[in-house]
Amino acid sequence: MYEFAYHKPSSVADAVKLLSADPEARPIAGGHTLLPALKHRLARPTALVDLSGIAELRGIRREGDKVVIGALARHAEVANSDAVKGAIPALARLAGTIGDVQVRNRGTLGGSVANNDPAADYPAAVLGLGATVVTDRRRIAADDFFTGMFSTALEPGELLVAIEFPIPEKAGYAKMKNPASRYVMTGAFVSRGPQGVRVAINGAGPCVFRQREMEAALAANWSPDAVANIRQSPDGLNSDIHGSAEYRAHLVTVMAKRAVADAG
Amino acid sequence: MNVVSNKWIGQRTIRPDGADKVTGRAAYAADATMPGMIWGKILRSPHPHARIRSIDTSKAEALPGVKAVVTAKDIVDFPVDTPVPLGIQDMRWMCRNVMAREKALFHGHPVAAVAATTEEIAAEACRLIEVDYEVLPWVIEIEDAIRPDAPILHDFLRFEGRPSNIAGKLEHRLGDVEAGFAEADVVIERSFATRPVHQGYIEPHACLVSVAPDGKTTIWSSSQGQFMVRAMTSLLTGIPQSDIRAIPAEIGGGFGGKTIIYLEPVAVMLSKKSGRPVKMVMTREEVMRATGPTSASRSTVKIGARRDGRIVAAQGTFYLQAGALPGSPIRGAAGCAFAPYDIPNVHSVGYDVVSNRSKVAAYRAPGAPIGAYAVECVLDELAEALGMDPLELRLKNAARQGTKAAHGPVYPRIGFAETIEAALAHPHYKAPLGKRQGRGVACGFWFNAGGESSAQVNVTEDGNVVVTTGHPDIGGSRASIANITAELLGIDYRRVSVLIGDTATIGYSNLTGGSRVLFASATVVTQSVEKVITQLRERAAKIWGIDPDAVKWEDGQALPAGDNAGRFPPLTLKQLAAKASETGGPIGAGVQLNTTGAEGGFATHICDVEVDPELGIVRVVRYTAFQDAGRAIHPGYVEGQMQGGVAQGIGWALSEEYVYDRQGRVDNASFLDYRMPVCSDLPMIDTVIIEVPNPKHPQGVRGVGEVPIVPPLAAISNAVYNALGRRFYSLPMSPPKVLATLEGAAA
Repeated sequence: MYEFAYHKPSSVADAVKLLSADPEARPIAGGHTLLPALKHRLARPTALVDLSGIAELRGIRREGDKVVIGALARHAEVANSDAVKGAIPALARLAGTIGDVQVRNRGTLGGSVANNDPAADYPAAVLGLGATVVTDRRRIAADDFFTGMFSTALEPGELLVAIEFPIPEKAGYAKMKNPASRYVMTGAFVSRGPQGVRVAINGAGPCVFRQREMEAALAANWSPDAVANIRQSPDGLNSDIHGSAEYRAHLVTVMAKRAVADAG
Repeated sequence: MNVVSNKWIGQRTIRPDGADKVTGRAAYAADATMPGMIWGKILRSPHPHARIRSIDTSKAEALPGVKAVVTAKDIVDFPVDTPVPLGIQDMRWMCRNVMAREKALFHGHPVAAVAATTEEIAAEACRLIEVDYEVLPWVIEIEDAIRPDAPILHDFLRFEGRPSNIAGKLEHRLGDVEAGFAEADVVIERSFATRPVHQGYIEPHACLVSVAPDGKTTIWSSSQGQFMVRAMTSLLTGIPQSDIRAIPAEIGGGFGGKTIIYLEPVAVMLSKKSGRPVKMVMTREEVMRATGPTSASRSTVKIGARRDGRIVAAQGTFYLQAGALPGSPIRGAAGCAFAPYDIPNVHSVGYDVVSNRSKVAAYRAPGAPIGAYAVECVLDELAEALGMDPLELRLKNAARQGTKAAHGPVYPRIGFAETIEAALAHPHYKAPLGKRQGRGVACGFWFNAGGESSAQVNVTEDGNVVVTTGHPDIGGSRASIANITAELLGIDYRRVSVLIGDTATIGYSNLTGGSRVLFASATVVTQSVEKVITQLRERAAKIWGIDPDAVKWEDGQALPAGDNAGRFPPLTLKQLAAKASETGGPIGAGVQLNTTGAEGGFATHICDVEVDPELGIVRVVRYTAFQDAGRAIHPGYVEGQMQGGVAQGIGWALSEEYVYDRQGRVDNASFLDYRMPVCSDLPMIDTVIIEVPNPKHPQGVRGVGEVPIVPPLAAISNAVYNALGRRFYSLPMSPPKVLATLEGAAA
């Protein structure tokens, strides 16, 4: 182990102050990405700012036509939340399929979304529902938030505080898991509601993206058949030992179709 | 033995290692520590094939905290021209596997090792070692390695008079195959390929070694044989066996992969040089890059049958990947492939092919799944061509008592046909299939093994029993031995403690492998207990003043054999133990034997799969394994072995494989990329234990641990065919591959 400072602030303001003062400091919530990175020396922050003592980052509540989930909400909390299950059951189901029991009891919504791993589940829901990311200083629309592989619109020192999910009329999620790691090989989150019709694809490319052709087809005809014959181009998609870009492109269509079926 | 009268044999008694394992108290090799202990690390080759011109360790030795550095110079060299066999291994290859000598032969091959006061310093010192490599052309796959222009790994290997990567050939012949095929009405010939798969034991290799100033060496390590560890370490370090004490730690899985050593001789030399105890623990990545796995294979099998279903000839050719040094399990592939069947004309050939990847290690029924995969898939096609039920075809040709097998033996009473009959009669075989589901069957054989075992059975002063044997327990041997001892002595099994001795506390015992342990150790334990019972009768006779022959042992106590012997109240084990000193001293006995008569194991499996044609995912939805266990001493463990073998077979068939990159390196050396099935990928695997007692064993035991991995590859392949109408001739049947085949069919 190498040395680093450890801070445990009790407010967002204090956390932001610590993170702003030291560009090499990193916030830590569930630690599912950061701790392995530390162990492998892929990250060597000067300080860890432990967010677990900040009450304002917690909580899941329904506010009118949206569900607001604090950044520190664990996957298991989202999966089991009556508010989420009642308003956006697809989001609860998605949370319930992340990793395994241990992961779901430790990993957090904010950590997953801020990390923007191409094979993570939550970015598909955030983009696929047209959610709003609330930080310590501003509100960012999902369409502007995910900027590339492992990168987001968050600025250095900016802290993700909560995510506001508009309640859709219909929403569904389907994914194929990587047979080794169980991360997402390719997934699709679809919804119809206040943000229009949305189809967000995760796992397939370097960053979650919207499939506009499918959105248009579903806007005209909300049914699995509407997307069944829309082919995703493999250009720019991920290719690895588990599946080629062509295979992933094929999965985009299948997962979108199944996500629509899941939405009902 | 009358089954009905058994009180403990056949009972699902509580396993003696269970509580320790679930509470985390079990002591594995990586848990061992000693005062003054330092850490060893291995420097591994960054090239798949390179001549080592020189190694400069001076900078590493100068690093503060470094206590010793070793290279191949510190390991005993066995010249390549003289075989040095040890069991199924050859020390010529082992000395080059633990430390590269003339050449680095695979990416990850050890080239040097360091011991330092911390793991970090040891790792840093490894980086300071300068190796001058002459990088050589390399070859990974079998088909490339046997090409005439392939890079040659070993100049000393000759095949048919020419330098070659074919290191050996094994051939079994029975009858006249050409004449046999001439008699056949239907002949099917197909070629198959399988990928290398790792044993996947959850515990990486680990050891702690202490070489004392007087040369006395103690090794705590994770292995499938403390005596194997002692013998190999002795040969590779030059330390006499009498100066080495090898202590087996609790083992976190082996599946054959821990029947050889990697770290122990290196740690011994580091400890000898540094004068400090040295601990070495592999990372998962090291395990995946440089240990195990089992062979990839390329095979061709041809089987001919008459119209009535009688198989008249069979021919098989099996190329198996050995890795960097000779020694792939061609015997298992070529020998087991046709062993379940009574075939008059057989020709089976195995070729051992070296290439620039880690040397293979034994993996559960080594080679046998590869042979059975090809044969059992061809039989499926044969049954279809003949219009026969695939199980009926197998039953018609099943080997029985008196069948002469191509690999040598004439079978005694075996229970193979019984496994097929049980499968035919089982509700699973007739259960309706759902949409996109298919059913397949396959059978399998494994040699099983006997060999050397030792046991010591001691009665404690308080009248309980301690049994010590010499085999690491990887499949329930302790629980099973407790059942047998309790049965024979007529006492509760909880009064029997079964321990695993080290090389100083129990006689030589061959390693845990070949499904031999319960067969062999039950034999020596039984004979030891019989001796103890004789002693107990003698002690009772002495107390009563009658002839020992007039005393019988029943239900845990000595009794007069009949009214003529005299009328005495029974003497229990506790009472006799309490009087042991005054009746002649401690009560106990040991037996050491080279056991024979293990006899083969047979299995028949039924598998249902469901295919998702949009994704190419094959999911096993129902699985029933039928196996002749001879006698299930502890049925829970027998079932566990059957389920475990099937689970590993499912991984081999559907998802697992080593993937190499363009630089000749393993590209998926972690569980995040190596596709091993987990519980959620598997159905409940149902088991049906058939008991046709082995006539050559006191309890009727046959080995059970390995044969369950033999049928699954073909059972699953045949089920996929039944579901899709498309046959696959290579594994794994991974989703992209299945999808591509389906799309090819549609196009």
